[in-house]
Amino acid sequence: MTLTATSFDWVRQLVHRESAIVLQPGKEYLVEARLLPMAQQRGCAGVSELVESVRNRPDPASTRRIVEALTTNETSWFRDGDPFTALTGTVLPQLLAARRPDERLQIWSAACSSGQEAYTVAMLLSDALPNAATRVSITATDLSREMVERTRAGRFSQLEVNRGLPATMLVRHFTRAGNEWEIAPALRRMITASECNLAAPLPRLGPFDVVYLRNVLIYFDLCTKQAILNRVRQIMRPDGWLFLGAAETTLGVDDNWERVVLGRGSAYRPRKGA
Amino acid sequence: MTVTEAQPISALLDPGTVQSIADEVWPSLVGDGEAFVPVPVPPSAELVSAWVDIIGPWTGSVVLTCAPATAEALTESVLMTRPPTVVDDEDVADALGELANVLGGNIKSVLPGESRLGLPQIGSAPSRGRLDDVCALVGQWRGNYLTITVQGAAPAPHAERNEVPQL
Amino acid sequence: MRALVIDDSRAMRRIVGTILTGFGYEVREAGDGRQALDVLQEGSAEGWVPDLCCIDWNMPVMDGLQFVMATRANPAFRQVTLMMVTTESETSQIVKALAAGAHEYLIKPFTADALRDKLALLGLLPEEVSA
Repeated sequence: MTLTATSFDWVRQLVHRESAIVLQPGKEYLVEARLLPMAQQRGCAGVSELVESVRNRPDPASTRRIVEALTTNETSWFRDGDPFTALTGTVLPQLLAARRPDERLQIWSAACSSGQEAYTVAMLLSDALPNAATRVSITATDLSREMVERTRAGRFSQLEVNRGLPATMLVRHFTRAGNEWEIAPALRRMITASECNLAAPLPRLGPFDVVYLRNVLIYFDLCTKQAILNRVRQIMRPDGWLFLGAAETTLGVDDNWERVVLGRGSAYRPRKGA
Repeated sequence: MTVTEAQPISALLDPGTVQSIADEVWPSLVGDGEAFVPVPVPPSAELVSAWVDIIGPWTGSVVLTCAPATAEALTESVLMTRPPTVVDDEDVADALGELANVLGGNIKSVLPGESRLGLPQIGSAPSRGRLDDVCALVGQWRGNYLTITVQGAAPAPHAERNEVPQL
Repeated sequence: MRALVIDDSRAMRRIVGTILTGFGYEVREAGDGRQALDVLQEGSAEGWVPDLCCIDWNMPVMDGLQFVMATRANPAFRQVTLMMVTTESETSQIVKALAAGAHEYLIKPFTADALRDKLALLGLLPEEVSA
């Protein structure tokens, strides 16, 4: 066990601060197991060395990865429900009415992780539109190359497909590959995945009709949140839609957005004249 | 009439797949953060096994083996019991059986064709069949000897022999 | 909220039952499909009808699929949500269960979070738990 008491303590406090999850003493082996891949990727001798290096010079990307490694076993499909039911229920009909038939709808999953969000959108759209493959493009980006590759691969473990994915969608859109499940090639082709750091000037992307920016702003300070929201708005259509995480809001952060209530959740649209 | 011989498990399943199944089963059934680690430790003198049979294009068993004390500790973890509650033989048969069941069910779905899963059994491990019809993971749980073995059925007592015609 | 957990493994009944109790459910158990039908009948007579049944597939006497078909055929239990909880995870089996009338399907091994997510999908997660 290479993890020192001070390292474990720092991780414990970080995780509690960022996620409210409590790591009990005795869970050192869990921290060790979950952070070892990250430590190895960074060329650290062990988890303690990784933790010390991040602790001495914290950066949002590293702290985010550490928190996620310890709090997310598998991300959910259809996370929080409303931002996805709203897509087919409200957003899509309005966009289809407002766009020309030859215009592709552009959707962005802006912190795509292993791809559940992007493929949730792909499944919903392919069920809602007969010609979804030609009508819609989905861009999936993440800071992590590993996550981008996972999204491209579209392969998920048994534990991952258990997380909030309706069984009817599992059987219709996935096939088994050994002990894993692979998304249908037609859906995989709807998605273009690439690396992108939201906290830096963005590569050429968009303009987007719908953006999913969910549960990623929480990792940044106010200044960076504002910069990100501003960058995102610049590459959105003026009548586009932004979905944030269930507990997130632009209120108090950036007043260039109008909040729209959708079901039990909300979406944000660029304020007219902003 | 040609008789097609069933393929041995070594042609159908690799240890890596069994390990990744165990990697999902342990946190789910034994507890968050728990793991079956494929690093061998010396076996104990006394061993107990729980297994399920798979009957299909490939026929055999998925066998979990460990020391009786380890079986008890596994059971306590699976059933989430706390002192002073103790687990009895029935609890052990049930918990270990369910572990074998979930491991077996997942291994079954990786094998080709359609197979059936038998109900869990506990006791001395069934005899192995052909030497190449075994996929064995030797490892540990919390430092204790534990193995997961996918083994072909032992040949039936009245196996057909290929008679060479006498000229 | 009420649930009936149907599995021939006591360990699994305890695991699922504990998770559901943690979500505020009142839980009853059965060890096979026939026992489960008896629990439903007896419960119904005293006004106890489950909102949810968690059903294993492979059980002695009467398996989960037969239980699903029998329950769906009974108008008295039309409102009961039926979720398979099983190791059987081939596509053809999931399709078969859904065609027989199961509403959802949870593959073993599963985590407490996975069960919670399925309940949320089904609208069977008490509001206070959603956080």
